[in-house]
Amino acid sequence: MARKRKRKIREKTGDQEAEMPMTPMIDVVFQLLIFFIVTLRPIDVIGHLDVFRPAPDPEARPEEQIEDMVRITVLKNHRFMLNQMRTRLDVMEQNLRKIASRSSRQTILIQCAEASSHYSLVAVLDLCAKVGLVNLSVVTLPPARGSS
Amino acid sequence: MARKRKKQYEAEINMTPMIDVVFQLIIFFIVTVNLDQESILEAITLPVAPYSREEPRKDPRQITVQVDRRGRYYIGSAPYDLRGLNMVLKNTVRRAGANIPILIRGDVHATHKYIRRAMDACARVGLYRIKFAAMKHAATEHRGGGR
Repeated sequence: MARKRKRKIREKTGDQEAEMPMTPMIDVVFQLLIFFIVTLRPIDVIGHLDVFRPAPDPEARPEEQIEDMVRITVLKNHRFMLNQMRTRLDVMEQNLRKIASRSSRQTILIQCAEASSHYSLVAVLDLCAKVGLVNLSVVTLPPARGSS
Repeated sequence: MARKRKKQYEAEINMTPMIDVVFQLIIFFIVTVNLDQESILEAITLPVAPYSREEPRKDPRQITVQVDRRGRYYIGSAPYDLRGLNMVLKNTVRRAGANIPILIRGDVHATHKYIRRAMDACARVGLYRIKFAAMKHAATEHRGGGR
């Protein structure tokens, strides 16, 4: 009975159900989704390796030795020296681990040859970070010594 | 004659859950998009250092000096020669002090002499705390500067 009355009223007044057109919105939303999926690039996780760069001292003698300082020399072609002794990265890791077990505050002086690769320096810094050595200084060898 | 009454149903797909999911996806993509990536040069491949320290919060004062394999220097995406780099660093120290963190993004194939020049430029104006950027985890296998 009530339904019939409602229909009659609707027919009289000409009311229609108001519907929102969804199709354009869905189109836009899909366009946005496709845009984001296509432009999305996975981000590499970037790490930081802290070093201390001493200021160049014009009065410093190049051959001056500081007691108990560990010196790592980075040479050309991914070659390394630990306290003036040729070594490999895996052997150096063992030695650095022993040093770190005594004191993680031990100063490590990393001397890089000018012709050495930045990759080699980062490999040494990563090794120091691995064994827990934090007090790292980076200096550059004079060209004559670094070329050996 | 018996007449069968046929019931007719209009087949309609319920769009509401799909629209919900699509909106959720769009919000996810908008939130996770990294706008800071614009200042990073694509040409520079970072060396891999899996034990490097991950910094959860970036210091807003940090200056990133990028060094490509040919020894060209960039701050942001703007190229600088050594004199320009010195000027920028000097002005920054004058304005904000020498306690600014410096991040050097050196290419995996760059020789140390190019990195040294950038470090010397920093040390000359009193910036001694230097960080090297390295790739802790590569997002995709083909990127990554490991040998």
